[in-house]
Amino acid sequence: MPKLSSRPPCVIELPPEPRAVSDNRRPRWVHRLAQEAGLFLAATMLGIAVILYCVVFLIAQRHLPGGFELTSTVNSTLPLVLAAVAQTLVVLTRGIDLSVGGVIDLTNGLAAITLDGSAWGHAGQPGTGSIGTMILGSLLVLAVGGVCGLINGLLVTLGRLQPILVTLATLSIFQGIAIRVLPQPGGAVPQGYTNLLANPNWPTSVLWLVALAVMWWMFRRTRFGVGVYAIGNDAAGAAAIGVPVASVRILAYVLGGVCSGAAGLFLAATATAGDATAGNTYTLTSIVAAVLGGVSLFGGRGSGIGAIFGAFVSSMIVNILFFAHIDPLYQSFYEGVFLIAAVVLVGGIGHLLRRRY
Amino acid sequence: MASSAEPVMPGPETPVPTGQDAPLLLRLLGSPTRRRILYALLASIVLFAIGQAVRPGFASPSGIRAVLTIASFVGLVAAGQTFVILIGGIDLSVPWVLNGASILMVTSSLGSNARAIPALLLTLGMGTLVGMLNGAGIVLLGVPAVVMTLAMNGIMEGLTLGFSGGMTCAACGSYAPPVVQAAVHDSLFGIPTALLLWLVVIVLVSVVLSMTTFGRRTYAIGNSPRASFLAGVDVTTCTIGLYALSGLFSALAGIVLVGYGGQAALGMGDPYLFQSIAAVVIGGASILGGRGNYIGSAAGAISLVTLVSVLMAMNMPEYGRSIIYGVIILVLLLLYGREDAER
Repeated sequence: MPKLSSRPPCVIELPPEPRAVSDNRRPRWVHRLAQEAGLFLAATMLGIAVILYCVVFLIAQRHLPGGFELTSTVNSTLPLVLAAVAQTLVVLTRGIDLSVGGVIDLTNGLAAITLDGSAWGHAGQPGTGSIGTMILGSLLVLAVGGVCGLINGLLVTLGRLQPILVTLATLSIFQGIAIRVLPQPGGAVPQGYTNLLANPNWPTSVLWLVALAVMWWMFRRTRFGVGVYAIGNDAAGAAAIGVPVASVRILAYVLGGVCSGAAGLFLAATATAGDATAGNTYTLTSIVAAVLGGVSLFGGRGSGIGAIFGAFVSSMIVNILFFAHIDPLYQSFYEGVFLIAAVVLVGGIGHLLRRRY
Repeated sequence: MASSAEPVMPGPETPVPTGQDAPLLLRLLGSPTRRRILYALLASIVLFAIGQAVRPGFASPSGIRAVLTIASFVGLVAAGQTFVILIGGIDLSVPWVLNGASILMVTSSLGSNARAIPALLLTLGMGTLVGMLNGAGIVLLGVPAVVMTLAMNGIMEGLTLGFSGGMTCAACGSYAPPVVQAAVHDSLFGIPTALLLWLVVIVLVSVVLSMTTFGRRTYAIGNSPRASFLAGVDVTTCTIGLYALSGLFSALAGIVLVGYGGQAALGMGDPYLFQSIAAVVIGGASILGGRGNYIGSAAGAISLVTLVSVLMAMNMPEYGRSIIYGVIILVLLLLYGREDAER
């Protein structure tokens, strides 16, 4: 791609630099704040949620939350974090992926029978897989997730169908295959695998979060990452400046599928067993987490980092409601109210910041 | 039904050559939307034939009546879904509005005929109010329809579970008033009243959509909210009204369902979200709005429910049904739900 800033050695006299305009421009930090309003607001919400959580925890338990609470929160939120990142990848291209829950169902069920090698007739005790079966199983599960994403992506781009309809139909298909793979909840995940992905004793899973954030940071700086954002903002414009729209979009769905597959793995590792219906709720919660993280459903705006924040905000809300002794039956009510409030707030603040300058 | 609107309001449907030079078949079928209705109905006939082959008696009058009655529940929800999809929206709050309505119906009437009318009004009013809140959130607060109705589904779920104590309340076990049960189960001239109600709804909704200014405004907003606003359409009121209608129809479906089954249960609304959207889309409406009509959604509901019934008659296990269901919707979408190529 030619650099836009380097001026060609031409003889035509160039117009003067638009100094007057640039002087009137809003300060750099305001510009960033306006661009990333959702991300900053998600971080603020997370901060408030964590403080509130500490307060209700202190009142309920007479001490501050410590390492154990950190470990269990991160472990139980990681599948949602991955699902939210998967959703974000697709939503950024101005799509929506309702099949996230189905892919997690399928990969979770698959993980339960491949990680200990029982799918290949492994002779040992259930739940005692070797390193080989664990690596092979993980790769297979991630690949299946990617294939699910590929199917969605191909139907959306080559089939020229609306993402919401395609993923609604494939959700049903993936759920069906998942039940075929693992008819009853069960299977066993090797203890070593659980210790690696979601260690219940040490907060090592924080490292996975950091790795995910770093991967997003890298993705954002690749040609592919820029293309994803460009498509979300204006697909025709992106095509005009040379973004291979179809392949970038397909790749976004594939990567989303791989992330959903990873969510299925982490879910299996946390539960130490598989359940072909455990993923169903993730379709909705992944959308909620992405939206709370400042990802715009109209595409092109938001980030995976925001989605990570959003996932933690939603799991913090559940924790806060629990320790505040609010009837769990009302939980979805508060989540719904909070979701609307957050979206209105993000939209309102972003709008104000953009209009102010 | 749609034909009456076409001379007045060209636009939502791409006209097919229907003059003297067009082939006879095309002239008969008219617009692509009408062709899709025909496909959907043909599919149901084929499915009934398959069902009859698999299990004799499937396509008997009583068998057809049973399938159509179940289709009418999907059809009622699809009526509201059609309204909001026509303006490019979507209503994901169907499951718990329906479920909340059915539980409100039994708990407020306590199974007595004397309370039936107030309970009906209360339930329908609740559905309408929730729908209005959806519309207001979308059009006044600028929340995307997916998020707003998703959040509303959660709100209704929380309220329903909370107020009923997770269906443990004393009144939760009540039956629907005998009048309501009888109204759903009785038949008039050999046609079940549930089906008659659906017929009335089909006629009413079609008349509203194709012969009233409200209907024409709905299509206009679906094609371009901005242009319709500039042309003097009160987009705000219309949108709120359409979402209110969707809530009303979800509540109505909840009442009919509880009349059909006798008692309310948690989770009874869950299947209706997927099925109502699928029915509308199979019936030829564009998910982006501005194209489609209710006859199509009704035909879509019939073919969808027939498909499920045939699969069940074949003793297809749940996973197989789920897979075939998804595949068939994909095939239908690929047949006629495709966007135009960009370049």
